Amino acid sequence: MSARPVTPGIRAIRYELAESVQSVRELAAAGQLESDAGLLESFGFAQVHVAVSESPFDLALRASQAVLRDAGVDPDEIGLLLYAGTPSVSFAAAGGHREAAETIGGTSRFKYPATRLQYELGLANAATIALDQLACTSLISAVRIARALCVSEGIEHVLCASAEFFPGSAGREAIYNCTSDAACALVVSRESARNRVVASAHVTKGYYWDSDAMRNEIVASYFPTARHVMAQAIARAGWQPADVRWVIPHNVSERSWSILLGLAGLPNARLWSGNIARVGHTLAGDNFINLHDAVASGDVQPGDRLLLFAFGYGAHWTALAVEA
Amino acid sequence: MPPTTRDVFLTGATGLLGGDLLATLLARDPALRAFVLVRDVAAWQARVGRQGAGAPRAIPVRGDLSQPGLGMSAADRASVARNTVAVLHLAADTAFSRALAESRAVNVHGTREVLSLADECRQLEQFLFVSTSYVAGRLSGEVAECATDGAHGWVNAYEQGKHESEALVRAARRDALIVRPSTVVCCEATGAVRQANVVHQTLRLYHRGLASMVPGAADTLVDTVPYGYVREALADLSGRTDLAGRTLHLCAGRQALELGELLDVAYRHWSEIPSWRKRALPRPVLTDLATYQLFERTVLETGDARVSLAAKALSYMVPQLAYPKCFDTTQADAALGYRAPAPRLYWLRMVEQLLAVNWSTARPELAA
Repeated sequence: MSARPVTPGIRAIRYELAESVQSVRELAAAGQLESDAGLLESFGFAQVHVAVSESPFDLALRASQAVLRDAGVDPDEIGLLLYAGTPSVSFAAAGGHREAAETIGGTSRFKYPATRLQYELGLANAATIALDQLACTSLISAVRIARALCVSEGIEHVLCASAEFFPGSAGREAIYNCTSDAACALVVSRESARNRVVASAHVTKGYYWDSDAMRNEIVASYFPTARHVMAQAIARAGWQPADVRWVIPHNVSERSWSILLGLAGLPNARLWSGNIARVGHTLAGDNFINLHDAVASGDVQPGDRLLLFAFGYGAHWTALAVEA
Repeated sequence: MPPTTRDVFLTGATGLLGGDLLATLLARDPALRAFVLVRDVAAWQARVGRQGAGAPRAIPVRGDLSQPGLGMSAADRASVARNTVAVLHLAADTAFSRALAESRAVNVHGTREVLSLADECRQLEQFLFVSTSYVAGRLSGEVAECATDGAHGWVNAYEQGKHESEALVRAARRDALIVRPSTVVCCEATGAVRQANVVHQTLRLYHRGLASMVPGAADTLVDTVPYGYVREALADLSGRTDLAGRTLHLCAGRQALELGELLDVAYRHWSEIPSWRKRALPRPVLTDLATYQLFERTVLETGDARVSLAAKALSYMVPQLAYPKCFDTTQADAALGYRAPAPRLYWLRMVEQLLAVNWSTARPELAA
């Protein structure tokens, strides 16, 4: 008798948004947008959550504590912690300018939020790995890695957590998207009755690493590559596009989603877009924030076939096929 | 006393097709004398050497299509009318981006004025009008070599202006020969591009990784013809009074390349260059017109100046791909006794040439 194939799934999801809310118009008045507020509103954005006193670690900790409770998983049972949201490594050459030396010099560089999170949560048995430089695809990438290690190493439960803020004084717009400060945490289990991760796809295009210089090229490449990655995930799941009940998006402009769905041959009505106006875009894990709320709202029913897609500036395109 | 020369009146001699046609006619017929309508006689004389040994038989006549009476002096008009046996009307404002009124000023009003002059030519044997196959506009399917009714509308003002010009010509002269070339792209033998158009602009954006999507399907035919074919065909049709009242397509017709193949040939060629292949640029997605236009609108609202300019330039013609069509060439092929070369024979050469010269013939906004 052959063993039943293992298809890990997402057992629970929780997220935390920064408490303070600012409307798109308020952001515009404060000079924190590059584009006209009316244009961004026409793209579906209404407000964002802006951290005032919270830190990314605070939100990551709260979301992680909550998701462990929801999952009914004891901290000791977590075999792996995947944390996304670490500081990026500088391009400065060794012996370079003072700022870089201060950032990466000395032992302070080894003070990691990931290991602190492991300690604070009491994840005594969790090996801890931090992910970086994946931008908005960090949490989907964490789920892909968790899924793979559940299968290959037999890990029962993986906690994936992500937290990303924009600095308080910085602009709130990233390529026509209004951005919130948030954290998201989820538990991937080797055996899960819900949200089984059926397939995934990921494309990285290093040509666009200098994202400021390549902005036009990235925008042009976004759509054909996104369409390709979405189609690849659907094909790897053994589905047809018509099988997809909901597209669970990253919260970029509704306009760009209309274009992408048109290219993918999927109707706009299948886009679960309710959070674009309420939450805006987060770097922490839009897709899972939306999946949580789509399930909570009753829109997503058990067995529904879901396609999650995210783009990470820099440049990564990634998709998951999930059976709710 | 009968004239010793065979006089023709030519418009558009400063343009690509008109210049080529004039040189060919002068070379073929030592008795031919051509009155050429030009806005700037001095500028014409400075470059008349292009016409080779026949240059002295190209007589510049100052005028302007957009002016009443073509802006010609009474004396010039009388000279032209006296012995002209053929009027070859090639001049047009070919900018797709013109407003309809602007396009009409040259393409419709100008044609009306040329027809009026033709009426004064007592020896006239032929009125040849060069139109465009894209008077078919938004029509899809097989396009016949006959008048179009315009019921489907047009993609740009140039197409509409040319359609209206054809209607004027047909109404005024039942004996007119109307010739409709499709998109003229390069020299068949070398692939060299002398004048950039939307085909070259699109390829440029594609090569740069800035072409995200194209309306149309993989099997949509993209009709192109090389310079030499159009030049020879127009020269062969000049003087063909047996073709009075006909409409002929100078097009690749069923031999036209499919959009998917056209893009693939370019992609394969560029992929042989390691530095280009390393970029892993995606092929543009073929999509429906609504999605393309939503993208185009978004680029115009959000893109930087350079990209917006390019998007705007393409917006006047690229949507034509969403109306797949095949131009029937039966009558033209029969009249000429030969067909347009298959684009498969020169498309790759043109792609190679464009890259070799870094699109230096392209419009400034698309140059590197």
